[in-house]
Amino acid sequence: MFKLPTIQFTAEQEKFRLEVRNFLQEQLVKGTFKTKCDSWLSGSDPAFSKIIGEQGWIGLTWPKKYGGQERSSIDRYILTEEFLAVGAPVAAHWFADRQTGPLLLRFGTEEQREFFLPKIVKGECYFGIGLSEPNSGSDLASVATRAEKVEGGWIVNGSKTWTSNAHDAHYMVTLIRTEPFDGVKKHNGLSQLIIDLQAEGVTIVPIKYLTGEHHFNEVFFENVFVPDNRVVGKLGNGWAQGLAELAFERSGPERILSTFPLLDELVAELKKQKDEAGLKEVSKVISRLWGLRNLSIGVAKVLEEGGEVAIPAALVKSIGTKFEQSIPEITRLLVRTYPRLEAERQIDRFMAESILHSPGFTIRGGTSEVLYGVVAKGVVAQ
Amino acid sequence: MSEMKEMILDVVEKIFKDKVDKEKVDVVEEGGWAEDVWSILQDNELLSVAVSEQAGGAGGDLDDLFNLYRLVGKYAVPVPFLETTFANYVLEHSNLNVTSANVTYSIDLNQPLIIKNGLVSGKIMNVPWARHTDELVALATSDEGMKLVHLNLSEATIQPNMNLACEPRDTVSFEDATTQQEAEMSDTQVTHLLQLDTATKVALMGGAIDKINQLTVRYTKEREQFGRPIHRFQLIQQHLVLLAGETAIVNSAVDNLIAALLENRLQNEVAYARIRVEEAIKIVATSAHQVFGAIGVTHEHSLHQFTRRLWAWRDEGPGEVYWSNQLAKELLASSSESLWAYLTSTEKVLQV
Repeated sequence: MFKLPTIQFTAEQEKFRLEVRNFLQEQLVKGTFKTKCDSWLSGSDPAFSKIIGEQGWIGLTWPKKYGGQERSSIDRYILTEEFLAVGAPVAAHWFADRQTGPLLLRFGTEEQREFFLPKIVKGECYFGIGLSEPNSGSDLASVATRAEKVEGGWIVNGSKTWTSNAHDAHYMVTLIRTEPFDGVKKHNGLSQLIIDLQAEGVTIVPIKYLTGEHHFNEVFFENVFVPDNRVVGKLGNGWAQGLAELAFERSGPERILSTFPLLDELVAELKKQKDEAGLKEVSKVISRLWGLRNLSIGVAKVLEEGGEVAIPAALVKSIGTKFEQSIPEITRLLVRTYPRLEAERQIDRFMAESILHSPGFTIRGGTSEVLYGVVAKGVVAQ
Repeated sequence: MSEMKEMILDVVEKIFKDKVDKEKVDVVEEGGWAEDVWSILQDNELLSVAVSEQAGGAGGDLDDLFNLYRLVGKYAVPVPFLETTFANYVLEHSNLNVTSANVTYSIDLNQPLIIKNGLVSGKIMNVPWARHTDELVALATSDEGMKLVHLNLSEATIQPNMNLACEPRDTVSFEDATTQQEAEMSDTQVTHLLQLDTATKVALMGGAIDKINQLTVRYTKEREQFGRPIHRFQLIQQHLVLLAGETAIVNSAVDNLIAALLENRLQNEVAYARIRVEEAIKIVATSAHQVFGAIGVTHEHSLHQFTRRLWAWRDEGPGEVYWSNQLAKELLASSSESLWAYLTSTEKVLQV
């Protein structure tokens, strides 16, 4: 079966980890942010994103000429882990940093890179990802939002849904049908267009999450003009370009650590109570975390070298998100909690955030069932 | 891994493929001895693979050794290869002479031998392969503290017994036996020995898990029901995904454990790996048997040679019960400001 590299951080990397950690601790003490579970997706805070941009921590791996730091993807992995472990609100710039930047570096034009990347790096330009539609969820290739060619660009009509943080975003990378639907080859004729969310004809309607929070949106396009220079990569190649992003999207620490602040608090509580039996239970949880982290970092290393990791990446997400969901279930059996989003007691608040956000973990970014299909077909084909 | 290592592993895998099949394992499970397997390992100088060249061995390291143990698990190799090679590794690293005899070992803090007036007495249960070996390396308590002792089994009474997989696990008793050699062991050395011994078992179990995954994937492609291969059914695919996930996690756990050992930056990897592998066994054995259905629970099929070994091995040596206790104690005593700081402790790396 697939062989992945092992984890060995260099002394340099460990120093970087401590640098990030100390900075975030200072911000925490200053009250710049409050630790939260699921902060990478539900903690959108543009002011905080700007602070992170000033640190040079957005677009960490990108070329210097676009404002990046040209650091390794392992450095970025460490940075992301530190954000998640302390539950920092990094959602506003998340997609631009994780997906749009790498997409433009790989498939974008020089003009697009020069226009977008420096703004993203400063923490001032956020992207939404426009994939799902009301009638296209797991069956993504059936998307119906279409664009018609006109002089100098495209006219887009249709809608996207479940778009996280579109209300804070400036642009959306949108999967759009630029050729008529071919019932046999559904994946053909799809393109990625960058839509300015301020453009005429764009309407963003909130979809309230089950907590009542504004997180998702439905985004409607009515005769929205998109200039030719906002097409990413090759026309009709949108499906393949999108797939290339998926391994990054599925295998990162955000598929393991969404509820880590709760686990951290649980251990603190058990230590306070000197509860050795409880810590014994936790040691099993930590062993699972260790196993997942090995896999996830192994995938990150292979990705950096351009290797093929579709199967292990799908495994990280499907197993990692289940792990995230297990933390509140384990916690409530080891310590007494009363979950409440407004709770003063941190563990109660983390419990509430973890429980209420848990169902989404195994849905967003490809449901577990879709991922199981990828893995099963992959191992049978090997 | 170096080319040299890959070559050794290829050679050994070829030997196991040629010499070890279902029938061979059956013969040994019924009390036989696989002389052909043993002698080909001996002839190829593989029994001294972990012994340094200065001491007359092949000069391999822990990376070679643990990767070979994976193969032992993968082919259910029915000879004391792990026992003899690891016993020699332990002897050499305790500054004792290695041996060319067939040797086994037992590192069990719960049943140490006792040294009094220079003579060794006591009873150790579940000593692997004792009836087929000539010497034993074991722990013994003495007035000066814990010792590693090297004994001749001709001085012992051996009562045959076996584990769930019908592998020899004998009861060995000594009464006023003389040691061939002995070495004092500090607490740190004993702990390290326990860690290494646990790691050998993790590698062994990892190999068997990898094999079960392979067997199961292959079976779902060959077996047809309702007019199509069963891997086409989504409910079967769920099992394949569970197996793939556990196998991937266990394989990378073994790799990371070996890397931490080799680079001398071992923290809690042994405990994590052992606990995680035990969890994987539960999932892998259940799903594999479910996929194979009735044929998989017959003696005729080879699946049980791997699942029974996993069920036996997970209860041998310090396991989850021991290691999760150790981890709990450590967590309680740790002064890290948070769990995250504890897990990403950089001490060992920054020292380098």
